[in-house]
Amino acid sequence: MRVLAALSLLGLMALLALGVSGVFPRPPVPPTEDVAAEWGAENVVAAIVLGVRLWDTLFEILIYAMTMVGVKLGLRLLRWEHAVPPVRETPLLRRSADLLLGPIVVFALYIAVSGHLGPGGGFPAGAILGTALLLLALAKGVERLSAEIHEPSLEWVEYGAIVAILAVAGGLLVMGHRGSGYLIAVNVLIALEVGIGAWVVLHRFASSRGEV
Amino acid sequence: MEGLAAVALAIALAGLGFWNLVVRRNLIWKLLGLNVAASGAILFLVALAHRPGARPPIVGLGPGPSADPLPHALVLTAIVIDFATLALALVYVIFLTEHRHTQDVERLERDEERGWPQP
Amino acid sequence: MGVILLSALTLALAVFALTQRRLLWGVIGVGAHSLALAGVYLFLAAPDVALTQAAVGFGLVTFIYLLALRRTGKLIVVAEEMPPLLYQDGQRVAGLEWEILSQFGRHVHQDVQVLWVPRKEIPRLLRAGEANVGAGGYLPRSEEAVLLTRPLLSTRMVTVRCTPGPLGAVEGDRGEDYLPPDGLTYEDHGELASALGAGEVGGAVADLLHVRQWVLSGEIQPVQTTEEQETSFRFAVAPGEEDISRALDAFLAQLEETGELARLVRRHVG
Repeated sequence: MRVLAALSLLGLMALLALGVSGVFPRPPVPPTEDVAAEWGAENVVAAIVLGVRLWDTLFEILIYAMTMVGVKLGLRLLRWEHAVPPVRETPLLRRSADLLLGPIVVFALYIAVSGHLGPGGGFPAGAILGTALLLLALAKGVERLSAEIHEPSLEWVEYGAIVAILAVAGGLLVMGHRGSGYLIAVNVLIALEVGIGAWVVLHRFASSRGEV
Repeated sequence: MEGLAAVALAIALAGLGFWNLVVRRNLIWKLLGLNVAASGAILFLVALAHRPGARPPIVGLGPGPSADPLPHALVLTAIVIDFATLALALVYVIFLTEHRHTQDVERLERDEERGWPQP
Repeated sequence: MGVILLSALTLALAVFALTQRRLLWGVIGVGAHSLALAGVYLFLAAPDVALTQAAVGFGLVTFIYLLALRRTGKLIVVAEEMPPLLYQDGQRVAGLEWEILSQFGRHVHQDVQVLWVPRKEIPRLLRAGEANVGAGGYLPRSEEAVLLTRPLLSTRMVTVRCTPGPLGAVEGDRGEDYLPPDGLTYEDHGELASALGAGEVGGAVADLLHVRQWVLSGEIQPVQTTEEQETSFRFAVAPGEEDISRALDAFLAQLEETGELARLVRRHVG
């Protein structure tokens, strides 16, 4: 059975390689500078993600929010009586969280705000924000952090961010306002949404399996 | 040249990931294999976007051909959706672990043949 | 040139990650592979994709796997603290049973995690599936529907009497079987010992190992000792985990054959 699986996999990979053999050399890229200038951006990928293919990005945001809601609903019912003891709090963790948290958040905001001028944008910024919150949770304890940052209101902030993105994007699609201000606003809102969503998902995972 | 190496790497990663998905018995190993296979697919798309001697698709980085920005845009959302799908899949795995106390696919199939006995 | 080196590194990391036996190493390997892949994206003139892959693939994905794995791939042992068999020594766990269990964990490629619970909770937690193994001087009782391994160390139940008064035992322990109707029960052996010392109860029913420890530490001065029944310590395994029970049985048999078990018993119990 494993031999059969290995042979069929090799055959599949050979077929893939054969199919790819005709794609090189690639045709030249059409000029993209005017597209970027039309949307007020210098990063062409940002202009595409938030401009030309805005519809796809909106649905991606909705799917991400659905994930957050799905994890909240799914892991709500599981509670362990004797939690696995949490990771021992070491001074190294606390000290590194103290030192690193500021630069990480500033870096994330910089990536979000300058997403239309250089590489970055809302998505990596949100992921970095989620990781920063997790670092803080490792140093402080998950439940304590979630109480201190008022997690229920944070979830409402995320829903508000989604509504704001839809409103701004809708305004753009319907009324045709374009410009770098719009790009900055949507990038920051996406970063907020992705970051809070990642934190909520990680918190649910941590609290349903025992303390982190 | 770089595109060719990257395409070869992408096909190798996809094969490795699918092999792991098929052969391993533990559910979480299968998810890891799926992750690596998805990385291979994403690398394939980005490698197709590369041009010889290309620069990143940002205006103002100098003359010369730029990489194709469209696959980059598609891949950007794909990576984040990958993480979201992984989170939901792991929720299912956690459910399964709580109720059946196993993550072994063969044991689950055996249980299913016997009509899901209570463990 | 740099692309080829970095691609080779990425492939090597992926092969390393996906051919591991332990899930923990697989997850860490996939995280490192994601980071190397982000480097490859930089060579392919895709800085946005590289940033997103590094942030999501290396940060979030690894963390979520680790959080999902926190209780799986571990052997959860619920036990009552009982020196010299299984006890907490500062930051670490120590004892005869701990040595056996940690060797067994290495043998089956799983981490062993000990949770300290009172004796009466052990069968309930095993049946509920919250733990895999019960330990800590576990003496089997007839009505507890858990799987048992082969005997670890033989002992016997004794009744000690210090002063006239009621008898005491630990709740859930085998000693409860020998209590007369007016006997008192306590949460754990430590409380029983202090109750004996304080004179709340006139005697206790416990296993020889505990009684010997109490006498040696001078907590009690027994006047009369009656031996009740020969029994032996075993490990309890959750019902439904026959694989673990069989593997632990085979491991214990192997330890007995090579004489390692006798050596460990001599070192810890004396």
